[in-house]
Amino acid sequence: MTGRLIRKKKDNSDSPSNTTKVKKIAIVGLPNTGKSQVFNNLTGEYTLVANYPLTTVEMKRTRCEIGGEPYEVIDTPGLHCLYIHSEEELIVRDMIFKELPDIIIQCIDANQLKQSLTLTADLLELGIPMVISLNAIDETARKGVWIDSDGLSRLLGVPVVESITVNGLGTRELKGAISKARRGKWSLRYGKIIGNGISAIESELPADASFKRKIAVLLLLDDPFLADYLRAEYGEEKVAQLKKEVNRVRRQFRGNVGRVLNNKRSRWVDDIAENTTRKQKITSGEFSKTFGRLSRHPVFGLPILAFFLVTTYLLVTHVAGYLDVKLSALLLDPTIEFVERLFGAEDGSIRSQFWYDFLVGHYGILTLGLFNAIVTILPILSVFFLMFGFLEDIGYIPNLCVLTKRVFSRIGLTGKSVMPLVLGFGCKTMATLTTSGLRSRKEKFIAVYLIAFAIPCSAQMGIDMAIFGRIGIKAFMIGYGALALIELCAGLALNKIIKEEERSDFMQELPAIRFPRPKAIVTKTYYRLYWFLKEAIPIFIIAAAALFLFDKTGILDLTKTLMSPIVEGWLGLPRDIVDVLLLAAARHEAAAGLTLRMVDAGELNYVQCIVTVVITTMFVPCFANVVAMCKQMGVKTGVAMAVAINMSSFILAGILNWILIFTIGRWVL
Amino acid sequence: MNKKRERDEHIEQLWYMKEGGEDSIDALKSALNASYDTDITDELLSEDLVELSEENNKIALTKKGEDYARQLIRAHRLAERLLYDVLGGDYESGACEFEHTVTHELVDSICILLGHPRACPHGMPIPEGECCKRSSRTAQSSVIPLVELEVGQSARVAYINCKSDQQLHKIDSLCIRPGAVVTLHQRYPAYVVECEGSNIAMDEEIVANICVWQNPEHLQAAGKEALAQPGGKGNQWGRFRHRKRGR
Repeated sequence: MTGRLIRKKKDNSDSPSNTTKVKKIAIVGLPNTGKSQVFNNLTGEYTLVANYPLTTVEMKRTRCEIGGEPYEVIDTPGLHCLYIHSEEELIVRDMIFKELPDIIIQCIDANQLKQSLTLTADLLELGIPMVISLNAIDETARKGVWIDSDGLSRLLGVPVVESITVNGLGTRELKGAISKARRGKWSLRYGKIIGNGISAIESELPADASFKRKIAVLLLLDDPFLADYLRAEYGEEKVAQLKKEVNRVRRQFRGNVGRVLNNKRSRWVDDIAENTTRKQKITSGEFSKTFGRLSRHPVFGLPILAFFLVTTYLLVTHVAGYLDVKLSALLLDPTIEFVERLFGAEDGSIRSQFWYDFLVGHYGILTLGLFNAIVTILPILSVFFLMFGFLEDIGYIPNLCVLTKRVFSRIGLTGKSVMPLVLGFGCKTMATLTTSGLRSRKEKFIAVYLIAFAIPCSAQMGIDMAIFGRIGIKAFMIGYGALALIELCAGLALNKIIKEEERSDFMQELPAIRFPRPKAIVTKTYYRLYWFLKEAIPIFIIAAAALFLFDKTGILDLTKTLMSPIVEGWLGLPRDIVDVLLLAAARHEAAAGLTLRMVDAGELNYVQCIVTVVITTMFVPCFANVVAMCKQMGVKTGVAMAVAINMSSFILAGILNWILIFTIGRWVL
Repeated sequence: MNKKRERDEHIEQLWYMKEGGEDSIDALKSALNASYDTDITDELLSEDLVELSEENNKIALTKKGEDYARQLIRAHRLAERLLYDVLGGDYESGACEFEHTVTHELVDSICILLGHPRACPHGMPIPEGECCKRSSRTAQSSVIPLVELEVGQSARVAYINCKSDQQLHKIDSLCIRPGAVVTLHQRYPAYVVECEGSNIAMDEEIVANICVWQNPEHLQAAGKEALAQPGGKGNQWGRFRHRKRGR
């Protein structure tokens, strides 16, 4: 996913230049309310969407034209309310406070109107013109819930647009409503003492400060992150002065100001929700609800997980294998023939061995580079991403949090760190970035380490399945069993080593199970493959060229000889596996392609095959992941972690090798 | 202000200071403002409730003083709890809607606790309740932690014990707040609670801190919309039982 990161950076770098003219639209809302989908619909760009919270962990912005006017649209991670609970929420609030968007589009999942209205209350207090996009309105209708969107619009004083974002329905109306965005009605009153207190604090703020009222309220609520912002904006002295004023107001008011503020807001929300929703008394049982419940059930949950795993395994093995054969016949064979004809002499020998090898030899840039990516890896990833996208869109993945909760708390992961680890099965880099929400350094350390270590990311899992597919499902179970065990032991060990006992609260919203739209999954798979090809093909080709160069200069052979005690002695692998390890350092998929070739050529036996997959899964987290690790933990710790991971992957894979040889090795070999 | 109340106020303030890690006489003076009285501190000293050292500007509660203060603070905060959380009272307006929000069971419990009083402070008679006729001696708790519900049951949230305002905000933002109807769906491997149409997975510690009304009548009386909640089976409320206080 490096490509996305890089592209984002580019977008960021050219935006500040002439921001003054172009109006900014910020799309905000609770987690999993369709912000990214609205972003895609408005701008015509594609950013990854899925049916679970934390899909978006970074701001994404782009320019586009709406109703003939240029706008800059900003997609944000989820936000519950302006009182901040975690770092990723903080970046949203900071964006609003510092960039002062001209218009806010709040995405509301119609199924969870009340939860969203809490945020609406906060946003209205900012006084920025707003539009509300009421998403998933089709689902509430099915559930027998009717929301009076006109009434809602009247009560809040801002346009409310009903929409079914996944189908793009309501996008036109939303575009039309943007020009009608208005400051809402501010009908929430906190009572005399607090009201006066807020005004008093407001008057202490500099005259040109923005969002004075909201800042005053947040100061009263004792927001843990606000002081930093104010210090940066107005200086230490002002903060001390404000603190004094806040304390004065608090003393004046007997009782807990925070609770009273919250209660007033809750009552306001309840009032509005009650006046705008009607619920049918009886509804039919819903399959999706039942499925959701079963999928996190301690007994039925595991078979469901196993079913999904095996289905994916079979699909990857058979469908991708079939495609591989077809593509080889279509692309690879004619190319090799062509190159042979190009350099071939009359007598069948080859005129320029160097160029022949460079193109289609063992380390040829076409065979090991381009076609490795297109012919071998692409089919595997297409099939796997289709399946994975399906699981993402039905909202299955967060349910794994519930199933794995107990296991994770054993290894020192309580609370918020469970979800990032589960997300690691999607993309490790993104999962590592979501750990910024973790407050406890211990949990953050363990989570970042474990994500980088023995968890296969979705692409890795796809190709692992393909390799295991060559030798049977039993190998798949042994290999993944070993990885799970290793991960567990690593977690237990880290939990013992790192001393610090601060548990965070585990509270994870679970998305509703939804029937996915095939088109959305296909689009998502298309973009994932597109991003993969765009960033991987050059790396594949460069890596192949580098290996070719090392081979021709003899460095490769020297390396193999030097490493042979470890590789052949300890890991029990053929010396050519060094090629795989070197490629894995560049790109895991490239290594997998070569591994597949070696399996097909019969160069790896059963045990060697398992050991190879296990070591490459653990070995060198991909470059983007290392960058993310450094970002989360600091460069020193990040690099140290990467080194530790590589060392332990060699040690553990060796141990696995010997265990396998002494147990199953005897009868398999 | 009478003497006892002034004394108590000094002791309470010393407890607050202890919580805040302060022990100087100046801090006590500034906290109590005009009501600071050296006669009282002398008296407390002679009763062995405080330790005083004028030259070091230090004052602190003795063991005995602490025990006394603990009782005061307990009463004070329980009253706050009762007025504020359970009864939904509003400090600011002073309008505590006691009779509108409280259940029969709770009124009975309070009645039992107060020993079935016959008249209000103004001397007007208090109508007899069922509990007075039976002259019950043990109050039954009508609020239980959410963990004690059975899987599939729903209940209305009474109040939430929170270790921090932060946590309270977080729970509040998920719409779990006094008055909301929650359904317990799953206990193991993690708790899954449904509230306002969304499912939330949670730790046991958090679920244990959410306290709900135990009896179904309250749910029915206060929340017609609760029964009409989509997906909820209307007849489920009938299955409510008064659970024994297991733990």
